[in-house]
Amino acid sequence: MTEQQQMDLRRDEVEAGAQTGLASPSVDVTSGRQNSLWGDAWRDLRRNPLFWIGAVLGLSFLLMALVPQLFARGADPRDCDLSNSNQKPSAEHWFGFDQQGCDYLANVVHGARNSLIIGLLAVAVVLVLGVVVGAIAGFYGRWLDGLLSRLTDIFYALPLILGALVVLRSGILGRGVVAVAIALAAFGWMTAMRLVRSQVIAVKSSDYVAAARAMGASNRRILVRHILPNAVAPVLVYTTITIGVLIAAEATLTFLGVGLQRPAISWGLQIENGQSLLRTAPHLVLFPSLVLTLTVMAFIMMGDALRDALDPRQRA
Amino acid sequence: MGRYIARRLLLTIPVLIGASFLIFALVYALPGDPIRALGGERPLSPAVVAQLREEFNLDDPLVVQYAKYVGDLLQGDLGTDFRGREVSETITQRLPVTLRLTVVAIAIETVIGIIAGVLAGIRRNGFLDNLVLVSSTLIVSVPILVLAFVAQFVLGLQFGWFPIAGINEGWLSYVLPGLVLASGSLAYVARLTRTSIAENLRADYVRTARAKGLPNRTVIGRHTLRNSLIPVVTFIGADIGTLMGGAIVTETVFNLPGIGRAVFDSVQAQEGAVVVGIVTLMVFFFIFFNLVVDVLYAVLDPRIRYD
Amino acid sequence: MTRPDPTTSVLTGSAGTPVLEVDDLHVEFRTRSGVVNAVNGISYSLAEGQTLAILGESGSGKSVSAQAIMGILDSPPAVITGGGILFEGRDLLTQSPEEQRKVRGPGISMIFQDALSSLNPVYSVGYQIGEMFRAHRGTSKRDAKKHAVELMDRVRIPGAASRVDDFPHQFSGGMRQRVMIAMAIALDPRVLIADEPTTALDVTVQAQVMDLLKDLQRDTGMGLVLITHDLGVVNEVADDVAVMYAGRIVERGTVDDVFGNPAHPYTEGLMNSVPQVEAKGGRLQPIVGQPPNLAAIPSGCPFHPRCARRRLGADAAPGRECATDVPPLRLVVPGREAACHYSEEVLGV
Repeated sequence: MTEQQQMDLRRDEVEAGAQTGLASPSVDVTSGRQNSLWGDAWRDLRRNPLFWIGAVLGLSFLLMALVPQLFARGADPRDCDLSNSNQKPSAEHWFGFDQQGCDYLANVVHGARNSLIIGLLAVAVVLVLGVVVGAIAGFYGRWLDGLLSRLTDIFYALPLILGALVVLRSGILGRGVVAVAIALAAFGWMTAMRLVRSQVIAVKSSDYVAAARAMGASNRRILVRHILPNAVAPVLVYTTITIGVLIAAEATLTFLGVGLQRPAISWGLQIENGQSLLRTAPHLVLFPSLVLTLTVMAFIMMGDALRDALDPRQRA
Repeated sequence: MGRYIARRLLLTIPVLIGASFLIFALVYALPGDPIRALGGERPLSPAVVAQLREEFNLDDPLVVQYAKYVGDLLQGDLGTDFRGREVSETITQRLPVTLRLTVVAIAIETVIGIIAGVLAGIRRNGFLDNLVLVSSTLIVSVPILVLAFVAQFVLGLQFGWFPIAGINEGWLSYVLPGLVLASGSLAYVARLTRTSIAENLRADYVRTARAKGLPNRTVIGRHTLRNSLIPVVTFIGADIGTLMGGAIVTETVFNLPGIGRAVFDSVQAQEGAVVVGIVTLMVFFFIFFNLVVDVLYAVLDPRIRYD
Repeated sequence: MTRPDPTTSVLTGSAGTPVLEVDDLHVEFRTRSGVVNAVNGISYSLAEGQTLAILGESGSGKSVSAQAIMGILDSPPAVITGGGILFEGRDLLTQSPEEQRKVRGPGISMIFQDALSSLNPVYSVGYQIGEMFRAHRGTSKRDAKKHAVELMDRVRIPGAASRVDDFPHQFSGGMRQRVMIAMAIALDPRVLIADEPTTALDVTVQAQVMDLLKDLQRDTGMGLVLITHDLGVVNEVADDVAVMYAGRIVERGTVDDVFGNPAHPYTEGLMNSVPQVEAKGGRLQPIVGQPPNLAAIPSGCPFHPRCARRRLGADAAPGRECATDVPPLRLVVPGREAACHYSEEVLGV
């Protein structure tokens, strides 16, 4: 390892660890210890109330995105009557009505689908970018690592919202669900890359990889069979938390006017509309905010619980 | 140490150039023709349009435009916006607002975060520990957007303690946005402090300190806190860099005329020169404070030496 | 150095008056997965100038008992459930935490196995040594540093005056352990507990550190409790030895007696498992089986599952069945105690 690499690695671990707390290299997955790591983790997880709260919230959100009719109490989000404009919540209409006089519960419930699609799509792109770039940089090292690490630094220096804002405003990608997801992923993959890279470098120099190499395993085989499985635990934790973070970022971009546009149904749009009516009809901001928060919370709680369960340092 | 800093500074140059070029290229791709938009209802004469395009180098290839921009930048010229206002003037006017917001946010996260983390870490699994754990999870789960509205609605409108927008009431105007901006880092500082203290309390040298018969306050204060706060202090240092980069959402929601708000407005108005100028500054802050943190590490932890 | 009379050594501690007496000490760890019985009723006493070695494998309770004496057990999970620790005749366990604290340092002090992790990495060694004077005697910062230099000289750290501001990581392993020792003897303690002081060091450095400890003991007359699993170290420096197994003392006597002719099968096993110069060419015999699980200590004699001399069922004498009857620590021959039903056989008397 060159001096520069070591320095990068230390920084990567600090920064990646700041996000997941899992930057310390784990053991070989093929050994019994690793199996018991997952076994122990599941036992810990089952006992953690935060995990169950997160899982229940997450499942409700998933169900809401797949079959919104289940939650909308028979109302159609597009069936609006201006005479109902801004009505407060009632026994009949739990979330009241929005400015156009549409049933607000139905609207909020139907907003889940776009959030979920964008969250999952963006995180998938983040994973692909992070794993590919991180694995290449960590495994091949030398100038390629230097180049890719500097590239990562460049993106890292730009805040997620700012980068996505400029990309979306430029109109290169359009303004749809896919565009928002890609814009978010383009400025959100760096931590995943650093996680994978530091894992790869740590595992690459371990004895069992040296043994595999001595027995004639090819580079590709070593990378795919021995090194990447080790990065699974931290990347899994990171991914879970990141879905929540990306969903929140989508709502923010839409709120700022560069994300989804009408007639799409989105929590960000609902919050943006309600903002000016905060004094007279606070429920218009309250309900989408609440559901958005619970959704983000679901992923962060699950990720947190997962990290505690997978982090051997937490075990007494 | 000097050599290390010099090397790190050299390494920041490609990052600085790369990031500003990236933004430059994206801004270049912004749709529409800002010059025509400037004229409004009454179209500008072709001669004027041509002159403006020439002045802003709009007809050169991207790389040439960028090279000219960097050339000017090195001479201290950040260019002007389409209305002829100096970008550097915009920055000098907006930066103090962002600076004040940063000071308030850092003060909040440092004081509350460290106190909460210490209380939680010393009695692990106690009531305060669980309170800090649960509340920090809740806080990081609330999107900053939502938190801003909650703060405005509850502390601003219901209780009327703080102004909910603008900067007309001096430092008081910065309390709500500072609180909202600090929330995520606050939760993280609390957790980091907690974990760090709980780990250090089990360290061998703390056992030694007890075996030496030191009073409890010395064992905790000098032998546990001093070591535990190293990662916390360095995190806060790096966070200054992030916050100085302006908080687009917070400044927009609270209507604070800082550089975050300026960059948002400029993206909307397709003011390329302003966007690139401010983003370059943000990236500089980010990189600079990261470097400061690395140096700080060596100062705080005698085991780390960069030579 | 003259060894104390072996008879008085075991029964009263030594020819001198005891400074430290441990009386039927019990320590357990209460964890989520159950109670671990780390120390199960050990007693010994230590006189001024005496060196008592506590010998045992890891998990035998030797370090836990030492930490209990120092009052630095992590509690929870550790709880002292019974017994007494008498320092100069007063029971430390009945004293207030503040009174206990004042004993640590000037009364009893301790050095640990891993000096690198036991010294605080962010303070200079001079500061950490000087802290003893500042905390216990209110010495000024400047005088404390002067004392630190004197002490570093005394433990033979070369160039003490120039190294007093260095940090622990800048010293070699042996020098770091000397810093620990300097810290521990700073206030002339009556008792020094050394927990595996040389285990982490190179063999040549080990000897230097042990010599230093012996010299310091001769100069100050302090009692030394030496916790170790190294038979060689015991043989060289200790007067008496107590062998621990599963949280109990299973044999006790002078080093010459115990090593010359063990009275407990476990001690015997230890002797046979180390190479000896005199018995060149002979085969080493490791003790079979695993060290006991302290959460489930075997019934009867805790050593019986691994014991080659055990007598079970009808083979056993009445009341001396190894798997059911717990053997008490008893006087086997003058100057020797052992906790085995069949010690006389082991001794061959």
